[in-house]
Amino acid sequence: MEEPAADNYSLKVLIADDSNSDRLILKTLLIRLGHDVVEASDGLEAIARFEDSTPDIVLLDALMPRMDGMETARQIKVLAGERMVPVIFLTSLSDTDALARCLEAGGDGFLSKPYNRLMIKAQVHAFNRMRLMHQTLTEQRDLIGERNRQLMEEQEVAKRVFDNVAHTGCLDAANIRYHASPLSIFNGDVLFASPRPAGGMLVFIGDFTGHGLPAAIGAMPVAEIFYGMASKGFDGADILKEINQKLKRILPSSMFCCGAMIEADFKLNQLLLWNGGLPDGWLIRASGEREILPSRHLPLGIRSADQFDAEMDVISAIPGDRLLMMTDGVLESRNSGNDLFGETGIARALDAGGRQQHPFDAVMGGIRRFTGLQGGNDDLTLLCLEMVDEAGFATLSDRSIPSALPGPAEWHCIYELREHTLNTFSPLPLLLHICMEVPGLRRKSGEVYTLLTELYSNALEHGVLNLPTEWKRTPEGFERYYQERERRLRQVDGHFIRFGLYHSLQSTGGRLRIICEDSGTGFDFQSHLACAVDGSPTTARNYGGRGLLLLKRLSKSLVFHNQGNCVEIVYDWHSSEISSNLVESQS
Amino acid sequence: MSIQTHRGDDGLSLVISIDGRFDFSTHQAFRNAYEHSDPDIQKYIVDLSETTYLDSSALGMLLLLRDYAGGDNACISIENCNNDVRRILSISNFEQLFTIR
Amino acid sequence: MKNKPHLDEEALAELRDVMEGEFKLLIQTFISDSLERIASLKAALNAGDANAFCNMVHSLKGSSINIGAPRLGTICQAAEMAGKAQELNQASILLIAIETEFQIVSDRLRALLI
Repeated sequence: MEEPAADNYSLKVLIADDSNSDRLILKTLLIRLGHDVVEASDGLEAIARFEDSTPDIVLLDALMPRMDGMETARQIKVLAGERMVPVIFLTSLSDTDALARCLEAGGDGFLSKPYNRLMIKAQVHAFNRMRLMHQTLTEQRDLIGERNRQLMEEQEVAKRVFDNVAHTGCLDAANIRYHASPLSIFNGDVLFASPRPAGGMLVFIGDFTGHGLPAAIGAMPVAEIFYGMASKGFDGADILKEINQKLKRILPSSMFCCGAMIEADFKLNQLLLWNGGLPDGWLIRASGEREILPSRHLPLGIRSADQFDAEMDVISAIPGDRLLMMTDGVLESRNSGNDLFGETGIARALDAGGRQQHPFDAVMGGIRRFTGLQGGNDDLTLLCLEMVDEAGFATLSDRSIPSALPGPAEWHCIYELREHTLNTFSPLPLLLHICMEVPGLRRKSGEVYTLLTELYSNALEHGVLNLPTEWKRTPEGFERYYQERERRLRQVDGHFIRFGLYHSLQSTGGRLRIICEDSGTGFDFQSHLACAVDGSPTTARNYGGRGLLLLKRLSKSLVFHNQGNCVEIVYDWHSSEISSNLVESQS
Repeated sequence: MSIQTHRGDDGLSLVISIDGRFDFSTHQAFRNAYEHSDPDIQKYIVDLSETTYLDSSALGMLLLLRDYAGGDNACISIENCNNDVRRILSISNFEQLFTIR
Repeated sequence: MKNKPHLDEEALAELRDVMEGEFKLLIQTFISDSLERIASLKAALNAGDANAFCNMVHSLKGSSINIGAPRLGTICQAAEMAGKAQELNQASILLIAIETEFQIVSDRLRALLI
């Protein structure tokens, strides 16, 4: 009778039995079943064979000289470690105590004498199945562990790449307090802040749908757009349009980004806010008064460009006013009773903090007390931006890395905006960009941008739109000013603003001449100049606002032509001021 | 959580009712609900009267339905939301995209 | 004890089938191992070591059952129990029975090889 040579598998089986005849029978049976056999005649030898031949299954006689089966089983199980090696006792024991001891020692089953061919085949088969199942489980567990380790490593790398793109910007500015988890990008939260070339700052706080890599992937282009455009002087609305369009294009339609753009202008004492899908913002006035700033827009990445509304709300705010913005992780913090922190939690925390405590600390403290988590929740982002005096915010200017290429030195250009384009397009980023090609001007981007901005807003608001500055001095007038500005911007037919930029090198550096002409009626610059020259602040304030004074302070000279609708300024830069910087950055 | 659909009285609308939590776990069921509907459906009604919770992935699913139903030309109304659910929809200003009743 | 046969013919037939060419070696191994064991059993009894007696007679029991000598196995089991109970007199009587039965079994097994 021929035993089929195994069911396509061959195991290495260790047999330990001090009876030579029993061992011979078992060995022959197993070889006929297609397995390889390793033999030992006592426990010590069994352990030695186990170590040098790593069998798949061990068959052990219970009673053996030198070391009995139970001790051998114990040691073999230790040696096998995580590997599942079934140990089957070969026994003619009949008392149940002894059988139980075999199992306690690590035995997985019994084969009783006399040996039965079918029983042996069935047992070996069953234990092999168990062994393979264990092996599969172990492999899968290890694989999952390994994958998880890889994922963590990849996230770490991705985070480092992201940090390079999305660096913290000016989040470390004295007027900003924030909480964001170091790995918040994988929660889908982003927080960026950038100083604006002409002063003031832009902050973006966002929350992508989903978690992990899909949530993080959209953050990358948003960071690039934000920092790229902010440093070139684009305003919040322009950046929002760009971000929205980009996200609309790259994200699947079920994904979007709730976010808020904050543009803080410390010169005009105003905040511009756009909130699309984030929880209410809280404006805490220096006086202690609170205002709620709800989301008025769809999140980013949903609307197509032509339907997207990037209009930012204008909020007049003075130094000491603070704006709190947050992602929904703040509202969704839960206590041990599974209750939500919610808006009431914020109101309560702010009440508890009173006038003394910083609202940021009040809310963070409120969340900690509520959740009982000292480290705070890792799934939330909270930002507090404080309005400051313009002078206190002077040092945050250019941190961009200068290009090592030599730029143009002798050039000029004329750029003219006409008709309804005056309503829809700001030439400032473009003009700044042209000037920033000159390495000597790049380090002065803040001043250059201020010059361009002031010239442009003078030409547009007081020249083309003929808006009176005095309106801006009262809160009611402030509102009226902006409403009227909106209205008149729609009626700019026949108007233009023309910029002439002239740059040349001088022995000590370079000179930028800017001529800005508009189609307005001009103004009585004679009397204005007179008072500006005599420096009397009272009369100066009555005329032209702070803009012209600022121009005068920054430039070497300021001259009006025609009826006052053409302004020429000369701005000099000196190589001595920048050479050390350039050397430093190129070394 | 369970999702059920039935024809509206007019025969041209599909009513999708979500019972319990409307979140990522309902993703497949929600898609099946409208993708396997009759082609002559012209209007979708998402009935949230039995919905206890709605998260941002549910908002994403509503956007997918909107795409499926024709994007800007889609005719979708979201009905019977409780206060919590309604608040989430309004923070995101979804009333600009859907009729919310 | 006498109701079991000296040799289980059916079991032996199957063993012969499994072992093929090695059947002879198996029988020879069993006989020489058992002779050694019986000598050791005597030595253990003379030394009054009931524990060693038990372990050895247990092994002899196992191999007897496996080779198809059930009556020898049964006598070994009785001897094992006597040893466990420290009844060395009873054990020495049973050891004589083991020797007698082994003589019969080994004669018959040898006969199978001719």
